[in-house]
Amino acid sequence: MPILTVCMNPALDREFYINDFTIDKLHRLTIENSRMTPGGKAINVAVDLAAFGIKSVVTGFIGGYLGDVVLTELRETSELITTNFVHIEEEIRENIAIIDEKNHTLTEINSSGPTIPLEDLQHFLRRYKLIVPTVRVVVLSGSLPIGIPNSIYGELTKLAKKYNKAVFWEAKDEIITESLKISVPFVLKPDFRREKKLFGEDLKTEQDYIDAGKEIIRYGVKMAVLSYKIDYDIVVTNDGVWFVKPLVGVEHAHLLGTGDTYMAAMIYKYLETNDLVEIAKYGYAAALAKTWYKRKIPPTFEDIEKAMEKFKIERVE
Amino acid sequence: MKVKDFYIRDITAVLEDETVTRVLKILSRQEVTGVPVINEDYKVVGFISENDIIRAALPSYFALLQSASFIPDLNQFVRNLKKLSSKPVSEIMTKPAITIKETTPLLHAADLMIRHSLKILPVVDEEEKLIGVITRMRILEAVSGEEKTAK
Repeated sequence: MPILTVCMNPALDREFYINDFTIDKLHRLTIENSRMTPGGKAINVAVDLAAFGIKSVVTGFIGGYLGDVVLTELRETSELITTNFVHIEEEIRENIAIIDEKNHTLTEINSSGPTIPLEDLQHFLRRYKLIVPTVRVVVLSGSLPIGIPNSIYGELTKLAKKYNKAVFWEAKDEIITESLKISVPFVLKPDFRREKKLFGEDLKTEQDYIDAGKEIIRYGVKMAVLSYKIDYDIVVTNDGVWFVKPLVGVEHAHLLGTGDTYMAAMIYKYLETNDLVEIAKYGYAAALAKTWYKRKIPPTFEDIEKAMEKFKIERVE
Repeated sequence: MKVKDFYIRDITAVLEDETVTRVLKILSRQEVTGVPVINEDYKVVGFISENDIIRAALPSYFALLQSASFIPDLNQFVRNLKKLSSKPVSEIMTKPAITIKETTPLLHAADLMIRHSLKILPVVDEEEKLIGVITRMRILEAVSGEEKTAK
């Protein structure tokens, strides 16, 4: 049974490698320093799953010239990926990442995306209901285009749980807050890239993160994985709280897509074990291994195994 | 050469009770000439193409004439198409659909396409569930060997 990954807001990812990137200046790019790949969090998850040998069906909304590029590239990526998008009239968004390896910075410019008419949303929902019984796990990850309510992750999870499917989320605060009221996932990884916020509260101290994680668990989520200070993670389950810290330096210029690799690797491990901490550890190792590459490409099993030795996990509660 | 190595893993489809308007939207947005029709179990039950829609909108004697030059004007066609747009797919789809499997030899798929003058063939699994489609263009590319030779 494949994994269903729901990408509501796909994007064309553009990576530019520019050393000494500064504003108000002309930068020239060679072909090898510019890359175009299918993007959007759930699409990245599907690409990583394919690298791990796992079949997936990708759904969501796609359209326009950029949509055609994403779809063509995605089909070229792997035979393990099946596409099932609802095509819309409008153009999808473009995500621009400027990577400066010399100064170790990652500058991202993400556009907001199209507006989805109600008719297309209904069209999507009908197909989602048909596909859910045929998959093993459902992944809801990433932002939403205009016209899709923040409660959608909750609604889609409710439908998936009718068929006893495990659901994984990665999303920002507004979606989490609205969706948790309707239904809860098995694993939740808040997306803190833009705002370090949960349930409307700013998260500052380590304790804030632990409390936020516990609040997620109180809703009935089995595991919350919160990234704290970029390369530290806090894992909260019903049994306790863990801190995951790297033992090696992490290249911040290579962080693009690590959250998605984390997610894909957790799903990979979930198919093997129910041990939540093991699942989180494997996700962390894969994300860490991914930072060893310049490009947004999935890590190899060999590098993930190596990464298993490069961090420590300690129980704090 | 087998279908497995060349088909498009896209499972866009319509349901029997969806309207012709929706089909037209899918065809124009995805720039395809037809889509498989599925039931609630994702099993292929038919196929609907632009040809099916045009045929249903033209007067019945058109098929006999095989030419549009006998039609006095387009008014009747436009009127019929409007009436047709709210009708369910099931009324004008071709059924049963001609389907192939991953293991079907490419030559056999090409033969089916030529004999039935089809541009797209749905690919199904052992349970007749839709897993993708193959287009004439894909087969041409495969046969010409310039692109997508067995990965």
